[in-house]
Order: sequence, then structure tokens, then C-alpha cells
Amino acid sequence: MNVRWSSGPGRVYYILLMLLALLPDARARGQVTLTAHRAMVRGPEGAPVTIVQFSDYQ
Amino acid sequence: MSEYEGKVRMVFKDLPLPIHALARPAHEAARCAGAQGRYWDYHARLFAEQPRFEREDLVRYAVDLGIDRDRFVACLDGRHFAAAVQADVEQARALGITSTPTFLINGRVLIGAHPVENFRIVIGDALRRLQGP
Repeated sequence: MNVRWSSGPGRVYYILLMLLALLPDARARGQVTLTAHRAMVRGPEGAPVTIVQFSDYQ
Repeated sequence: MSEYEGKVRMVFKDLPLPIHALARPAHEAARCAGAQGRYWDYHARLFAEQPRFEREDLVRYAVDLGIDRDRFVACLDGRHFAAAVQADVEQARALGITSTPTFLINGRVLIGAHPVENFRIVIGDALRRLQGP
């Protein structure tokens, strides 16, 4: 799986995620680009592992 | 999981569920707190206070954290981050994600609240894969 980070305009990071795992719908879609606001990211920029958490507050 | 310090980056993505009527304002409120540098503190407060997410609750949580009330209220009532939250929802949809929480760990999926040990296994595997044979 390839994860690419690039700095977009302003404070938003774009995560290019090639998802090869267990989401059958996503496999059909190929690449999906995720955005991340800097305020919602924790940990060092060069970290080898990225955990993306999709969550509600309930 | 202090053993992974420096090796893991965490990204939170908003996925307010339609069955939770007050969820979306809570997500927008957290980003409003983030605009004043207090995202993670507010984020923790929301989890602690769930499901008390009426407008007055959201404002009170911000005030309790020392966030500028007027700026926060203008942001919340003006729905400054509505589009950003919706973008996260659409990205979840594009990935086929419908359950919360869902974790992507270097692309591998964990759906639901897993024991910490499961995260250790997946993170450890991800780190080994990066090291190569």
C-alpha cells in the first residue's frame, strides 16, 4: 500500500491512499485522496505509520 | 502505546452519523475549537460529554477550555467548517466506510473499537513491512 503526503495550500495536507485492503467498494474505486487539517493531525510528519480514524463523537 | 512514539501519526476524520441528530454540529464545533488551537482538548471533551451536544453545551465546553467565546460562537453559528466536515463524510463514502470508528493503518482496516493489542499487531506488521525482507 502506498501512502503519499503532500502539503497542499494553507494548512491542509492531502493524503493519497492506495487502498488494497478490506473495503470491497474502495478496491473498485482505486485511489482515494484524503484531506487532513493540520489541527487534526498528531505525531511527527515523517512517521512511517499513519493511522486515519474515521469517527463520530457518540 | 508509548513504544511507537515517533513512529506513528494519527489523523482524525469526521464522520457524523445521520442517526445522531446533534453529531454534525459537534464535529463543526471541534474544528472551531481547532481554529483557536484547542482541537484535541475539545475533541476529548466531546467524547467525555457525549451525547450532550446541544448548542449551549458546545459553547460551554469551549468557554470551559478558555476558548474565545465570541469567535467560537461566530464560527459555530456561521457553520464555518460545515463544508470541511462534509468533505470528510464524502471521503468516507468514497472508501466505503459506514461504521464508526473505522481505522486505516497504512491502509489496513480495523472496524470498530478493538483492543489495544490488535492495534499493536497491525502497527507492528506495518513497521516490519516497511523495513523489508
